[in-house]
Amino acid sequence: MPLSLELSNLPDADVAALARGGREAAFHELVRRYERPVFSLIYRMVRDRELAEDLAQDTFVKVLNHIDRYRPEFKFSSWLFKIANNLTIDYLRKRRLDTVSIDGSPHAATAAEKEATSFDVSARGESPLDEIESRELGGAIEQAIAKLRPEYRACILLRHVEDRSYEEIAATLDLPLGTVKTYIHRARHELREALGHLRS
Amino acid sequence: MNRHLLPEEIDQLLDGEVGFGTAPLKQHVRTCAECGAELESARALVGQLEQLPHFAVSPRFSEQVMERVHVFVPWHVALADSVRAFVPRQRRWRTAAWAGVGTLASLVLIAVLWVATRLDATLFVLELGVERVRAAGAWAFSNLVVSLFGDTAGQALSASGPAGIVAVLLITLLTALLAVGALRMVVAGARRR
Repeated sequence: MPLSLELSNLPDADVAALARGGREAAFHELVRRYERPVFSLIYRMVRDRELAEDLAQDTFVKVLNHIDRYRPEFKFSSWLFKIANNLTIDYLRKRRLDTVSIDGSPHAATAAEKEATSFDVSARGESPLDEIESRELGGAIEQAIAKLRPEYRACILLRHVEDRSYEEIAATLDLPLGTVKTYIHRARHELREALGHLRS
Repeated sequence: MNRHLLPEEIDQLLDGEVGFGTAPLKQHVRTCAECGAELESARALVGQLEQLPHFAVSPRFSEQVMERVHVFVPWHVALADSVRAFVPRQRRWRTAAWAGVGTLASLVLIAVLWVATRLDATLFVLELGVERVRAAGAWAFSNLVVSLFGDTAGQALSASGPAGIVAVLLITLLTALLAVGALRMVVAGARRR
């Protein structure tokens, strides 16, 4: 059986151990498993595809070049998200991009670039009417998330998009458990306020 | 319960917390339309959040990451990988390959045992071979010195004996190393420009 097929059945800690042992296929497997979640988290934080790809690449490069520092008693994904979040928050602090546009990259110079970098959330397997509604809801919720404080945004995305427990989020973001609960509670409240007009 | 649920209590129900504390909250939601609607609204929001998709990265993402990752492959892993690359995928070919390797190993073992039982003869042949190689090397080196520097240098080299030959070899090696180093510096300088 090829090594890549064997790797896809292994838990993260085992794949990380193989990567520590110099197995290049294990590095590829870790990237394959987490490229979409990490990229999506960063993309929703910075709202710029090119920038999000750069930050996601930096995350993987940092993690994989220091794979020997990974401690198997912790979840690999928590470590990865922690580094992704730290890099993103550092970037946002530097650039002060606390609120960003859903309509396209803030770096876009032309209308075409704005169109190319705009957020596209489409539904799968729905009727045209459902799709329009879904697009509107999707767009609205993405816009509402974009308006949250970065700390709230990271918490709510980890909780409901990445399905992490409160404890994991606290460990990932280096925050006390109570703070995570407060942030998520406030984020939900702000989102419901922002989306209130769609429900009524 | 004679009051509406607090926001934290709605969160408890939303997160599906279990225990004695949540039983009265659930009971209240069943009888209070306002709190029930509040909980439903919160659940709808969570439902929307959970349906948010993961976005695809560009096709070269993984490749670009790996270009910047330094994979340290220990020699035994590299050796195992190299050997694995030669192992056939199909079972029957793998069996045939193992049979071939086994036969070869047996032949080598027999040869080693045969040589070991005739150690004196083997050592004699080895010594003879080493002496011939040494003589051929010295002759070639002497010829090279004569053709490069003339008969006088050849005679001086013969007079100086093995120590002279070693000294000349070391000087030649050092000169070659210095030349290679200088060449690399020139190339690196040209690249930087």
